Amino acid sequence: MILLVADTSDDLPTPASLEALAAARQIDPAVTAVVLGRDTAAAADAAARLPVTEIIRLEHPALGTYTPDGTVAELAGLVGSLAPSHVVLPHTYQARDFVPRLAARLAAPLLTECTGIATVEGRVTFARPIFQGKVVADIVLDGPAPHIVTVQIGAFRADDLPTTTAPAPIRQVPAAITDADIRQVVEPPFRDAQQEVDLSTATRIVAVGRGVKDETQLAMVRQLATALGAEIAASRPLCDAGWLPMDRQIGSSGQTVAPQLYIALGISGAIQHIVGMKGAKTIVAVNTDADAPIFEIADYGIVGDLFDVVPALVAALEAR
Amino acid sequence: MPDREVLDVDILIVGAGPAGLAAALRLAQLQKAAGGEPLSIAVLEKGREPGAHALSGAVLDLSALRDLIPDYADRQAPVDTRVTDDEVHLLTAGRAWRLPFTPPPLANHGCALISLSAFVAWLATQVEAEGIDLFSGFGGAELLWDGHVVTGVRTGDRGLDRQRQPTAAFEPGVDIRATLTIICDGVRGNLTKVLVQRLGLDRDRLPQVYALGIKELWETPDTRLAPGRVIHTMGYPLRLHEFGGAFLYGLPGNQISMGLVTGLDYHDPLFDPHQAFQRLKQHPFVSTLLDGGSLVKYGAKALPEGGWHAIPRLASDGVLIAGDAGGFVNSLRLKGIHLAMRSGMLAAETAFEAVRAGDVSAARLARYQDAIDRSAIRTELYPVRNVHQAFGHGLAAGVAFAGLSMLTGGWWLRDPMPATAGHERTATLADFYGSAAETAVARRSAPKYDRRLTFDRVTGVHHSGTHHREDAPSHLLVHDLEICRTRCAVEYANPCTRFCPAHVYEMVDDGQGGRRLQINASNCVHCKTCDIMDPYQIIDWVPPEGGDGPQYDGM
Repeated sequence: MILLVADTSDDLPTPASLEALAAARQIDPAVTAVVLGRDTAAAADAAARLPVTEIIRLEHPALGTYTPDGTVAELAGLVGSLAPSHVVLPHTYQARDFVPRLAARLAAPLLTECTGIATVEGRVTFARPIFQGKVVADIVLDGPAPHIVTVQIGAFRADDLPTTTAPAPIRQVPAAITDADIRQVVEPPFRDAQQEVDLSTATRIVAVGRGVKDETQLAMVRQLATALGAEIAASRPLCDAGWLPMDRQIGSSGQTVAPQLYIALGISGAIQHIVGMKGAKTIVAVNTDADAPIFEIADYGIVGDLFDVVPALVAALEAR
Repeated sequence: MPDREVLDVDILIVGAGPAGLAAALRLAQLQKAAGGEPLSIAVLEKGREPGAHALSGAVLDLSALRDLIPDYADRQAPVDTRVTDDEVHLLTAGRAWRLPFTPPPLANHGCALISLSAFVAWLATQVEAEGIDLFSGFGGAELLWDGHVVTGVRTGDRGLDRQRQPTAAFEPGVDIRATLTIICDGVRGNLTKVLVQRLGLDRDRLPQVYALGIKELWETPDTRLAPGRVIHTMGYPLRLHEFGGAFLYGLPGNQISMGLVTGLDYHDPLFDPHQAFQRLKQHPFVSTLLDGGSLVKYGAKALPEGGWHAIPRLASDGVLIAGDAGGFVNSLRLKGIHLAMRSGMLAAETAFEAVRAGDVSAARLARYQDAIDRSAIRTELYPVRNVHQAFGHGLAAGVAFAGLSMLTGGWWLRDPMPATAGHERTATLADFYGSAAETAVARRSAPKYDRRLTFDRVTGVHHSGTHHREDAPSHLLVHDLEICRTRCAVEYANPCTRFCPAHVYEMVDDGQGGRRLQINASNCVHCKTCDIMDPYQIIDWVPPEGGDGPQYDGM
């Protein structure tokens, strides 16, 4: 049995959690998902529609605000009683914070940023990039269960998850922590952190690059994003010039995304940008330069001026 | 705002490169031999870890290492690949001729082919094993002074935003106060530059001249150059009046270390070292070696080539200079690592005695210069003291003089042979092209890259592993942006956009019908070329937030 630690946002499992579920099912289709929080009723109902065998609600007022102590204490207890073969989590900022402690607490092996899973000669083999992504290592975890695995965002596809007919049973497990277990005092978020946009959860992204020459073109691009229900993002030069905030930058010095649809407008495709978006399912590129490297990875390419192409796309979308 | 921390040490070494680490290790050895109350020693390094910012070809003359760590082989120094073959080729646009013999200065038999980054990382483990504190990720931002006496170094602040305002992550730099500071901040080091200017340490010395080395590491599907095979080339893609040449070294694992060294004293304001490097790779002699291979790593670094007469005074009150910061490179042999190490060792010896004696005055520390004058450094550098200046008169004159100087012991009718700082040798468009200047500028077409053999600068930067926090203040201070869009655009057509190998400088539309300089500081690979080569000398390279910069593992 696999234990999936599901992340939720607005009482829905996050896309990263769905990807982690897809990964977990490659190890063993018997997946139990746990949701943590102050009140997990709605999130558990939503998660129960996923292809899992059981949902566990782990509720405590102290879990309302994230602390590594609270999360680790509760999960360690749950893992102890369920004895799963693997614990799988999406590789989020929060997971990066508490998972090493969880592994240490359980004396369990930990593999982070898994990008692929295969069974080789009866042993589950995990792929993970090393040396800044230049090499992919195949790793077999040794030692007694549980093995803890975090899953890189964008590496697994959640769209192929099977649909379910009946919701999975939901079980509430009493939380055992007390306030005294939690040593961290959580302060209000920093000014910097408050405005952070998490583009990794966006299903559609319209990204702009240097090909956009002025503010009127940017307005046109915003129209396209609205028509598609997409987030807007940019390559470095535009964020650098202050046209879009820096937290909307995609690439090696910005965010890494893997949306269903990525429309690259006037982006030449510098490798620094590509590494941040190559996991997108469908990539559409519009650029005046037919030799631009972006076309090498695009599924659909349009050689043309944004001024011609973008309004046509907006008109076509609005006509539907 | 938190208070600035203060740390007191006896000897502070700035820069964990070959010179700084050799100095640290020598101090530890002297300490052990002398016994008594141990001196406190600290080493600062701006890179994330030692070796992160170290880049060279590199052929290592093992003499200094042998003296510093006689049992280096038992200690697994990464110097296993010995040079087996030396070749020199002359390239023209389409052909290559091998010289029938290898000129003596380029005979590398017995030397090791190394990754300088790996070598420095190893040297650091030796230093740390001696219990010396090595602070990686802390650059020396400024010198601390008491009058004209250097009393230590202030490290850079962290967590400033672009407008230099503190963010939530702000941490002020630390004042490291030292009885004696040994500055090993590398080629065109930011502290050395200030020190030399403020104290006039370059008075009566020749101006330092530099070259820019652009290097790539390639991996090929089969062995094209046997490990230990060393090839140097002259000629194409450089013209006769441009100093420099290429290197191609065979490494284990089907790897080729290759690069182009270009004198930063070229005349043509439109010359572009990065473009020249791409043309080198397209030359059939080189392209057949790289064909079907892949680019593993990219990097660039300036190197001091002025030689003996360009070395500044190396000691002043409370301070010594060693390594590339002092200009210890033999440009004829294309080597400096062993000289850097030896200068570090000699600096350590002077420093140890001086601090023990409680006298760190300039007069006492002048013993360092005496030690250098009696050492293998002078034996090696003095006879070739005029060679680089001779190359200033073109390749043919340089080669002729290099040969002649072997007979005269380096003597020439004018000794020292005069030299000019490289940035002053760049001609204006009008001077170089005359009435054809406008056509020359207009005729340049946007370079094409095939992305197999040739790559644009930005792709290179990616392969250098360079990282800087995007919202940090620019660490490239351009003191007058007005000059860029007016005078420089007309006189030189903004050469920074060409000599920078990392696409830091860019002229962009200013939205008002003109152009302005945009500084992509986060691309910077810390080569220092802009600080050296800007014709108006209005660019100051200062260290970015500690730990940021390239990641040169394997280089």
